[in-house]
Amino acid sequence: MPKTSLQDFEAMVRRTGVILTTAQTEHIYEGWGYIEPMLERIRAHGRDRAAEPAHIFLPDVFDAEKL
Amino acid sequence: MQTPTIAEAATLLAARKISPVELAQQCLDKIEAVDSKLNSFIVVAKERALQDARAAEARLMAGTTKGKLDGIPIAHKDIYGTRGIATTAHSKLLQGWVPTEDAFTVTKLAEAGTVMLGKLATHEFAFGGPSFDLPWPPARNPWNPAHFTSGSSSGTGAAVAAGLILGGTGSDTGGSIRGPAALCGIAGIKPTYGLCSRSGILPLAFSLDHAGPMAWTVEDCALLLQAMAGHDPADPASANRDIPDFNAGIGRDVKGLRIGVVRHWHETDSPVSPAVQAGINSAVAIWRDQGAEIVDVVLPSLYEYQAANFVILTVEAFSLHEPWMRGRFNDYGELLRDRMIMGGLMAGTDYLQALRRRRELCAVTAAAAKDVDVLVTAGAAAEAPRIDSIPKWTNLEKPGFTNPFNITGWPAICVCSGFGEGGLPVSVQIAAKPFQEPLLFQVADAFEKAAGLRGIRPSLSATPPHVAKGLADAGLNLLPGQLDLMPEMVAELAAGAAALKGARPYSQDPAGVMHLPVGG
Repeated sequence: MPKTSLQDFEAMVRRTGVILTTAQTEHIYEGWGYIEPMLERIRAHGRDRAAEPAHIFLPDVFDAEKL
Repeated sequence: MQTPTIAEAATLLAARKISPVELAQQCLDKIEAVDSKLNSFIVVAKERALQDARAAEARLMAGTTKGKLDGIPIAHKDIYGTRGIATTAHSKLLQGWVPTEDAFTVTKLAEAGTVMLGKLATHEFAFGGPSFDLPWPPARNPWNPAHFTSGSSSGTGAAVAAGLILGGTGSDTGGSIRGPAALCGIAGIKPTYGLCSRSGILPLAFSLDHAGPMAWTVEDCALLLQAMAGHDPADPASANRDIPDFNAGIGRDVKGLRIGVVRHWHETDSPVSPAVQAGINSAVAIWRDQGAEIVDVVLPSLYEYQAANFVILTVEAFSLHEPWMRGRFNDYGELLRDRMIMGGLMAGTDYLQALRRRRELCAVTAAAAKDVDVLVTAGAAAEAPRIDSIPKWTNLEKPGFTNPFNITGWPAICVCSGFGEGGLPVSVQIAAKPFQEPLLFQVADAFEKAAGLRGIRPSLSATPPHVAKGLADAGLNLLPGQLDLMPEMVAELAAGAAALKGARPYSQDPAGVMHLPVGG
């Protein structure tokens, strides 16, 4: 059972702009229960404030001579 | 005739013991005979195949052959764009779409002289599946068609294992080359991120997508990768570097190499079946006997890689499918749409945290593997389950063994390591550091050749209904090779039984009759 309430989940679905039936919402809500622990894993690291993401903007890539 | 490997076929073609047209026709005949049981092809491009084969034959006769892949029958996963041939992603949304350009790797393989037999089943847009609500049925496992192939390169796994093609293409965003390779008992490599261009291939998740080959043997994968790899300015992630000889290590032992076993992944994080464990043990024993040093390596939990992989994958996938998800949600299969919408439900900060976690995981993995040449773990947790028994959220319940190398971008290959209790194959996975494919092929080939499992092919001969019923009544679960023998054995037994029947006197006793004890 997800920690997110079904009501809050329905609000999250509305934000995506995808129109779901009640049955579809309930099925996907069940799956959301598997996603929440993943999100906790990636959030729950006391990482350095300056830790950069895996892919960062490289201006060199857009050097006109290399395009 | 049993389907040869690419290396064997190249030798036969060079010696003119078989022609490219004969080889292509053999494959086409086999597709026609058995693919109705496997559903591995979406399109069989017969005319195109014979045209390619005739061109290869002309080059062979003129002495202008292009190399070992010239005249070799292959097929492409149906997310690879093919000019003039429908490319559907196995989805209603692209049914009838015919690209005007070939994908970069399709062109490269054609330039190497391969014969293109058609387009292969995939999980929808390389993510859903197995789905039964799409315009085409899901591919089935040639070792037992009631069982799953894994995915998403499901058609390639099935077609290669069944010998319908000698090799094919796949894509791998979380394990989509290595999963089907593992469950179908073939070899499949996810090369280093950037080694093979993705331009012209329908994307799933930009920063995790890899293109790569699948074939019956490691050596054949090396031959295919030699043609597929190369810089392509049209792919922003394409690596601009010299391409090494991927066959350099084929046929060599592993003496002096250090092999790191990530034991906790397959023993603790996601415990594997006894057959998978036995396969890993067998590989380790072979490498040790050849002179390699075996050490344990400890890495972050599989759950850490899975979390980062799934968040990045679904957010990137949702971003590119967003207009269709909003407007044509119900035209997708249920499995794909219900998984992909998860990416739309996550916050922008979740995606960025996953990317930051990815960089940490890359650094930790590299540091832990600093003193070893390759890493070893399972390819999949067990042999293939029944295709009708796959839970909807199966890829979320337990972490896969393949995710870590999509996150790090390291090359990784799955190789058949034995068979489970049900007679279906199991696999070992080997990974190397970025752009170390020649070393990876060396280690994988050394195991594969020593293990001696490549002589066993799945059988697709039909079991007659009366034989199947007799086996079921007896509660017998035979292996594919044993099943092959059954029709002949049953026919002999029936003939023997018929010979014993005859017109005998009504009162004739059998040889063994009841006697009261003597003196009783």
